[in-house]
This record gives sequence, structure tokens and C-alpha cells, in this order.
Amino acid sequence: MANIVSLQKVTKDYGEGDALTHALRGVDLMVEAGEFTAMAGPSGSGKSTLLNIIGGLDRPTAGRVEVDGREINTLSKTELSLLRRDRIGFIFQSYNLIPVLTALENAEYVLMLQGIPTAERRERVREALKEVGLEGLENRYPRQLSGGQQQRVAIARAIISEPGLVLADEPTANVDSETGKALLDLMRRLNEEKGVTFFFSTHEEAVMKRARRLLRLRDGVIFNDQAH
Amino acid sequence: MIARLAWRSIWRNRRRTLITIISIGFGLACTVFFIAIAEGVYAQFIDQVVRMQAGHITLENPKYRSGPAVDIWFEAPESLRSQIERLDQVERTKLIILGQGIARSASGDVSVTLMGIEPSVELHTSPLVHHMVEGRYLDNHDGPWVVIGSGLAKRLKLGVGKKMVITTNDTAGNLVDELCRVRGIFKTGSVEIDGYFIQAPIVFARHLFDLPREGATQLGVVLRTPQAQEAVLQKIRMMVSEQDIAVLPWQKVIPEIASYIKLDRGSNLIFQAILIFLILFTIFNTILMSVLERQREFAVLLALGTKPLLLRLQILLESVYLGLIGCALGLVVGGLAAWAVQVWGIDLRSLLEEGITISGFAVSTKMHARVTIGLLLGTGGLVFAATLILSLIPMHRATRLSIVDQLR
Repeated sequence: MANIVSLQKVTKDYGEGDALTHALRGVDLMVEAGEFTAMAGPSGSGKSTLLNIIGGLDRPTAGRVEVDGREINTLSKTELSLLRRDRIGFIFQSYNLIPVLTALENAEYVLMLQGIPTAERRERVREALKEVGLEGLENRYPRQLSGGQQQRVAIARAIISEPGLVLADEPTANVDSETGKALLDLMRRLNEEKGVTFFFSTHEEAVMKRARRLLRLRDGVIFNDQAH
Repeated sequence: MIARLAWRSIWRNRRRTLITIISIGFGLACTVFFIAIAEGVYAQFIDQVVRMQAGHITLENPKYRSGPAVDIWFEAPESLRSQIERLDQVERTKLIILGQGIARSASGDVSVTLMGIEPSVELHTSPLVHHMVEGRYLDNHDGPWVVIGSGLAKRLKLGVGKKMVITTNDTAGNLVDELCRVRGIFKTGSVEIDGYFIQAPIVFARHLFDLPREGATQLGVVLRTPQAQEAVLQKIRMMVSEQDIAVLPWQKVIPEIASYIKLDRGSNLIFQAILIFLILFTIFNTILMSVLERQREFAVLLALGTKPLLLRLQILLESVYLGLIGCALGLVVGGLAAWAVQVWGIDLRSLLEEGITISGFAVSTKMHARVTIGLLLGTGGLVFAATLILSLIPMHRATRLSIVDQLR
């Protein structure tokens, strides 16, 4: 399979002088399309930094980053926006749904950005919400949904535009273990049935066990990369 | 969808939005109301003054302004008057003779301004007619009869029917005396008008100053709508282009009134500008705070692939909604309040017993506002545009944020 993510000697430094922090120290990584990869490591190991760089939300200090065949260092802000809109889905630890939009509208938002006609996007969103088990809750606002339900909306929002890659930053951290297991089952099913590439960070052993590939980070370096 | 998102976003903090809308509305309503009152008072005052003096437009000898005196007169033929009166927007024309003299009685003498007028015309135009407190106003059959102010009557100890003598110089420079009687006494509230102003029939004034039958110092043109002044002025200038006659707007004839209004309007504008600035400052704070509170949400939208321009559009739309609702509220409240004062007026007689005078002319104590579409659109448009301009900085702030920092 083709690589959807390719990192070569990627470093990321924050601060300067005495406050200089090396968040990533020469990371090399290849992720193929269709993978279900987890990234584990203690706080400050560089997991979020790595996700941000792959997602085009942050730029590396040095090294080469390719996502979906495009070197993101060379892309302008607008080109990065378009790459994120069309090829990358995001799932955040604290859901980050827009509170004034309903579940349906939250999931619909990315399709609106892509200029999909209203009727088509409504149909696609209803299917996606059904896929993530939220049928009948389309018109509820985030405050009317449980944490697990909100994260399901976030998953629907991430996959709705059929991106090549879904990046998830500790997607189960804010829900109870049962809900976390259900969310992971959902992600895994979407990966297996729809071929969505998932790349996510986690702290939890149970989640790590469900990944097909597990990367372990410490002090900005991937020190272990094993397939399950 | 962006419009829906913007609309719902302004209502997520309902109390703040309501305060903002009320601030815009209150500021705009005050501005509209006070400007309408000021414009109404100006219009009312100008109307009274020009009707009592030489009209909205004045025809006179071109040399008169450089040294106003009765010997610098001109001939205003009937044919010219009829031609002017046929113009649209001209209510009527009025001939006057303005001269200086001394009014004497057994009790003393006072230097006065004597105005010769056509009683039949003044009955319809002059506000003095409505200020008679004793006797009656002049009519065309009156010969050597005059109306005088209450102040002058008091100083010369004159009453209705009493005799007085007017001493002046005629157009040839001869000293002349004429006996006349008091037909009525007026009281306008102006010390200058009530104490030093006399009106007499124009026939008597011509006799006194030795002017020919169609001679006068001014031919005044009273308009139905003051807004037509410039257009009528140009038409009259065309009519008399071959003659040695000056055609002047009232602003040139009574420049002290025009200057006063200009100055007063200027100071009112400064006051309004300060009021609007304070309100806009509140609105700016509200919009900025609303944006700063949602930095994380904006970061999420940008992470999802929203172009900065679209995010700016959303914030602009929020300001558009606030501005539109606030301005609509302000225009309705301010417009209705001003309209009520336009129709019914506010009577300040109980507060201003002494009356108000500007440059010697009495101002009516019953104020009427003047609301126009131009005033509503102008002030509303200004506040709305200012609200949008104020959203530029918050818009800029929202798209300059660091996505990573906000999502951390």
C-alpha cells in the first residue's frame, strides 16, 4: 500500500536559549493507507506534537513531512487549510464540537466547506450519524449529548468527507472505559469496512492492545514500533 | 450555514447581546432625537425670522449690503413680483422698506428701526401678527399708524391710539418728522424687537422716506419649502440678470443667524460624536470579548479546514446582525420619539419664562422636531458602518491565533 504519511528526520524545538525544549528529535515514520496505528508514550513524549505536525497544524523545525503525497512544509496557509479540509479528519480529546450547531450540523460543517450541495450533504451526514450509532439524535445540540455521543459526532465529522487519514488525539481519554471500548470498536470497524486510516495517540493499555500497529515514544523519539 | 452559525453565536450570551443591541439602539435613538430636535428648532427659527424680515430670498440694490441705508433703494415693479410669484414653491413676495429713526413721545425718545410693510401680505407671513398684546395689527387702510413693541411702549409711555413722532432722514438726506399713532403693541420676548422695532404701512414709510411708488429697500421671497431655496434663487437670478438687482439667500442677509446655526450645529455634532464614540467603544469591547472567548472554537474551525476569510466573514456577519438589530431599534425608538415631538411639540414656556433670543430674534418656546429620511438613513448608516469597522480588529485577531496553542 502507498504511504499516506512519511516523516524523515523530523525535529521540533520550542523556546530558545535556556528554555529550549526538543519536542521531537529526528523522527522517521511511514504510515500506509488503511493502517490502524496507535501511538503511546508518557506526557511530554511528543505524541501531540507529532499529530499536530502530521495534521498540518504545526510546522517542524527541521525534516521532511509528506501527507497524502504532499510535502506540507512547502504549502501555504491556504493550501494547508485545503489539505486538512479534504484529506485529513481530526478527532480531539475533548470532542471540540461547535456548541451552537446540532449533531447533524457539526458533522455537516466540513462538507459545507467543501461546497457540497445541501441535499447531498444532509443525506451523507444522516448516513454517517447512523454509521456511528446516532440515528435519531441528529437535531440535538452537543450539550444534550453524553460524552460518548459527542465523540461519536466528532468521529462522524472526521470521516464524513472520506479523508485519507484520520488523526485522533487520545479519543477515549474523556469517556468511561465502556464508552471508550465502544468508540474504539467503531473506529476499528470504520477502518476495516471503509478502509479509513486511523493514527491516534493514547495512554491506555486497553486501547494500545486494539491497535494493529503500536508506536512508543519517549523524549521525542520513537523507540519501539511493533505490529500486532 | 455560516449565516446560521453567526446568528446562533450572537445569542449564546443572550444578556451580553441584548446589552449590546440596547447600547447601539439607545445611542442611535438619542442621536436621531437630539439632531431632529435641533434641526426642527433651526427650521422653525429660520422660518420665523425670514418671514418677519426679508424672506428666504431677498432682492435689493447691489450696493445695499456694503452700507445698509434707506437711500440705497431699488424699484421692484409689479411685473417682476408676479413673475416671481408664479414660480413653484414661492408662497408670496413682500416689499419692505427698512430705515432708522428716532421715536419720540412726551415721555422721551428712543432710536428705532422702522420697517415699512404691506399689511395685507404680512398678515399671512409675519409671526408678529400673532404676538399682538394690545390693539391690533395694521391693515391696508391704515395711514400714519404703527405697531410698536411692548418695551418701546413702556419707555415712551404709549398706549393704543396714542400719538408719537418719528424723526428720520429721507433719501435726499433731509431731516423729516412725521406724526403717527399707535395701532397695536406686540410682545415677542426679544428685548431688541420689543424695545426698538416699529412697523408701519409701506405707503406711510414711502412718504416718510420720500421713496417713489414702487421703491423699497428689499423685495422678500417667502418659500413654501425652504429646501427649494437654491433652485428658486437661481431662477430669480436668471429673471433679473439684465437688471441691477442683487438676489441673496437669507444666509447673506442675516449672516449672524446663519453663523449661529452653523456654530450650534457644529457643537451639537461634537456632542453626538462623543456619545457615539462612547457607545461604539462598548460595542468594540463586546465584539472583541466575544471573539477572545471563542479562540478555541475558532482554532477547531481552522483545524477542520475553514479558510481564514470564511472565519472573518462569520465574525463580520455577527457584527452585521448586532448592527442591524441595534440600528433598527434605535431608528424606530428615536424616529418615533422625534416624530411625536414633530407633531405635538414640546412647550418649554413654563421653564423659559423670559424666552430665548438669538441675535435679537425671539425663538419660539414650543419646540418641534424635524425628522427626515436623510437624517434616519444618515445616522443609521453611520452607526451601522462604524459597527462593521469596529469588527475588523476582532476579525483579524480571530484568524491570527495559533491553532496548536488554542487546542493544547
